[in-house]
Amino acid sequence: MSKSLTRNSFLGALVALAVSAGVLTAPAKAAEQVTLTIWTFGEVIQPGLQREYQKLHPEVKIVPIKNDVDPLHQKTILSCQTGGPADIIAFETPYSGYWRTGNRPNCFQDLRQMKTSATNADAGVAAGQSANEIKKNYLPWRWEQGVAFNDSVIGIPTDVGGLQVAYRTDLFKKAGLPTDRGAVSKLWPTWDKFIETGQKYVSKLTAAEKKSGKGFIDDAGSIYAAVMNQGSVKYYQPDGTDRGKLVYKTNPQIKKAWDTTVKALNSGIGARLGQFTSDWNIGMNKGAMATILAPAWMLDYIKKQAPDTKGKWDIADLPVGGGNQGGTQLAIPSYSKNKQAAYDFLTWYLAPEQQLKVFKTYGLFPSTSVLYDDAALLEYKDEFFSNAPVGQIYTKGVLKLKPIFEGELQRKIDSTFGAGLGRVASKKMDSKKSYALVLSDIDKLFKN
Amino acid sequence: MTLIEEGKGRPKAPLTPWKKKKEKKQLPGVASLDGRWGYPAIAPFFLIFLVFGVAPVLYSIYIAFFKWDPLGESEFNGINNFIFLLQDSDFWIALRNTFSIWALSTFPQLVVAISLAAILRNKRLKGKSFWRTILLVPNITSIIAITIVFQQLFGRDYGLINGLLTLIPGVDNIDFIEGIIPSHIQIATMISWRWVGYNTLIFLASMLAIPDELYESASVDGASKWQQFKYVTLPSLKNTITFVLIVGTIGGLQVFAEPQQLNAEGGSTKQFLTLTLFLYNQAFLNNKYGYAAAIGIAITVIVLIISAINFVITRRISGEGSR
Amino acid sequence: MKRNVPKWQKTSKLHYLMLGLITFLSIFPFYWMFIVSSNTDAEISKTPPSLVPGPRFLEVAGKVLSAEGVYFTKALTNTFVVGIAIAVAQVIFSAIAGFAFAKLHFKGRQFSILFIVATMMLPSQLGIVPLFIMANKLNLVNTLYALIVPALVTAFGVFWMRQIIDAQVPNEILEAASIDGASVPRVFWSIVLPSIRQSSFVLGLFAFLAAWNDYLWPTIVLQSPERFTLQVALTQLKPLYGLDYSLQMGGAFLATAPLLILFIFVGRRLVSGVMDGAVKG
Repeated sequence: MSKSLTRNSFLGALVALAVSAGVLTAPAKAAEQVTLTIWTFGEVIQPGLQREYQKLHPEVKIVPIKNDVDPLHQKTILSCQTGGPADIIAFETPYSGYWRTGNRPNCFQDLRQMKTSATNADAGVAAGQSANEIKKNYLPWRWEQGVAFNDSVIGIPTDVGGLQVAYRTDLFKKAGLPTDRGAVSKLWPTWDKFIETGQKYVSKLTAAEKKSGKGFIDDAGSIYAAVMNQGSVKYYQPDGTDRGKLVYKTNPQIKKAWDTTVKALNSGIGARLGQFTSDWNIGMNKGAMATILAPAWMLDYIKKQAPDTKGKWDIADLPVGGGNQGGTQLAIPSYSKNKQAAYDFLTWYLAPEQQLKVFKTYGLFPSTSVLYDDAALLEYKDEFFSNAPVGQIYTKGVLKLKPIFEGELQRKIDSTFGAGLGRVASKKMDSKKSYALVLSDIDKLFKN
Repeated sequence: MTLIEEGKGRPKAPLTPWKKKKEKKQLPGVASLDGRWGYPAIAPFFLIFLVFGVAPVLYSIYIAFFKWDPLGESEFNGINNFIFLLQDSDFWIALRNTFSIWALSTFPQLVVAISLAAILRNKRLKGKSFWRTILLVPNITSIIAITIVFQQLFGRDYGLINGLLTLIPGVDNIDFIEGIIPSHIQIATMISWRWVGYNTLIFLASMLAIPDELYESASVDGASKWQQFKYVTLPSLKNTITFVLIVGTIGGLQVFAEPQQLNAEGGSTKQFLTLTLFLYNQAFLNNKYGYAAAIGIAITVIVLIISAINFVITRRISGEGSR
Repeated sequence: MKRNVPKWQKTSKLHYLMLGLITFLSIFPFYWMFIVSSNTDAEISKTPPSLVPGPRFLEVAGKVLSAEGVYFTKALTNTFVVGIAIAVAQVIFSAIAGFAFAKLHFKGRQFSILFIVATMMLPSQLGIVPLFIMANKLNLVNTLYALIVPALVTAFGVFWMRQIIDAQVPNEILEAASIDGASVPRVFWSIVLPSIRQSSFVLGLFAFLAAWNDYLWPTIVLQSPERFTLQVALTQLKPLYGLDYSLQMGGAFLATAPLLILFIFVGRRLVSGVMDGAVKG
């Protein structure tokens, strides 16, 4: 069918038209001038460092284009089929399994075959380094998340999403809870204790406050991911093959995470504010939640969205300890026309020196493990969060993390469980029924 | 726009071709004009139409028989996609939602549009042209902009509508996303808001075609306003109502942007997953091109069935009709 | 005066009240866009919310227009270019083909008309996946041509034009002209075209509006912000300023304002276009 179509002379003429009227297709190329288009999301590419790099290299123009995580994934897939304008693409670790599997690594440049040029030699990145040479700077299991099953290196890790509890000292005080971070951490050695504390907090709220939707935690559903990531296996178990063995029906960790979350949902401690919605933002400003399970990268969100709450936040340990959420890899799509410039930027941007700056200004916790015993990191305190030693807190959390095998449809399965918990939260379905529906929905993903 | 526009964004022509045929047999054309010019006249249209309008449809029938992963291998899959579709609870949920949203947006709209048209028909009404023009304003706005506004108005905690509702004692905030019917109401409101003025004008046009004498004589006979409406106005709107229903159905089956902007997956219980959103998600979220094509074919079959039902009903009505 | 009004033509205050209400409902969302985009989120989320414009609009508009990686003004021109190209093409192709179908005798005419009417029933989303595959093979992805080329003609436009020409151009005039020796193109150019000017304008307007508001296809086929249409650009504001209502609304307002301005000039013609096209009786 398609062959007979392309043979059609009329269409040929159309193509010729499209090509010859290249105004709409050809990128402008001045001499030596390079424009790096980065498809990204959230705060992965930091404007401050972007400016710094452009100052270092006036010939390079960096254009980050933000999208939401899922639409970005979609665009990445489409552009792999068609080619596209991006030079660097960010993908979140839950999607890493997807890109590491099958033919899909071909969508990205194998970074083992790239070599840094001399352009950043003065800025601390020696020339001639391939991905193999910079590997040693990074947390090994984070690095692996960018290595495809055919061994090509498709992405370099940016941050690691160490998870802690951000809490409002003023609201805790009002509810008669301790405010000191050590004492607060001791309130919840387990998730059950965390829920109990929440109930204590909620019982102190007035009826009007309850009616206006205030609660202890922004979204009780967020507990699921936290508990899940405290295990060592999620939905896939490594079995030596690319795809891994599917264990979403049998892994006890899932049931544990589910049950804990359902308990939290039913205990009424949540404000039912979906994260990254506008209502969440308003709620943050209005003190609608006293705690947020905050990955390091979320600290910057809180600062930006609720600047007036400065000094009212502090950070305590996650119940049980050691949590992780998110984290991103930066990759170069194989269709990029500026691979060298893109690789030079990547290696500079993701080098330990820069990642330390990113952490200090934006709170994203570096996956460059060489920094983890660096005093500059460990001694870093954040004024916004009542001078909490965030460097030390998150380092401690990250070091506890166990590597988890992220499978092909990880993200999809995660969001299916999320939807299942949403049903329980909104009381549209009881826990058991909803769980069964989650499993059958996941089954469907693997058919057709 | 062939395959890509929102089905509703079209001007309405004197449609109902089957009726036309009945009245005129066929268009006579002008015998003294050289008919051979017809071919070059329709050729450019037909070429583009076949390539971008018809070929994709045929191609999608082909794809529907494959397991077609854009970044993986594609293999022949027989009719498995269709079997799976019939077993997929999501399909039936989407079907239910689509019809519920369609009904919630169509019937209240009909009532409001006909009432408004009845008011606007009045020859003594002041500012006629102003009212008519105002009615069309919502129709020109983009769906995305409007979803942003309505989503905020319908917000659970801080939305204006809930703000008003909670002024009533004893009423709690309604979650216009999580509930099945509330979410359908939200989407139906967006659709109705856009289209009610447009449909009012359509009804107004056919009401203006009703001769004044009919009302006069009814009035002389002592018929009340309501009786006039029931026995004079309504019967002459039959065709227009059928027409609005057909167009509304085709449009209703294509509802996509509104639910997608509320939640890309169509809600946690898929409570507002519509057929088109279902198709889109299978194609572009799950990368199941073959399955998506099968869904497209299912939607087509549904449209054909509805059109057939409409056709039969219209026939019967016009058969019974007084003319 | 009052005695002259027949009973069935009386208007009551209630009628004006209803019309007033519907006017309010039609306009309010636009007003609300402006309210939200000119206030802080805090103003909007308090109870009762602010109902008067705040001071922030220029700041918000500035942020929207300068949003990094969104190119709002570029999107505006793109949308205009695409809309006008589509409108002009549809009018030309539809008028010519519609004329042929309405006034010319040729073999296969009846069948072609039936074929066109049948395809009008097909839901537009059916072909979207193959269309993407085709657009890719034709190297149209991420160009504005991808939006324009498939929309150059519609079955609907042709059918509409056929009906209009059939109804508005009397056969006798065409006959007289052709007997006087005018060729078919000449007849089309100097008799048919002038008498369907008004309808062509309306068809073009609707094609333009549909293109302006199209969303599904552009999101699939466009990749670079400098090629985005307004609807796609609008959805880009969310990831950028996601959590701020006023910026999203500011974008929505700015994307709608040009249409509202256009509407002031063409609103009446649109109204008569819609009503002319309606089924009568």
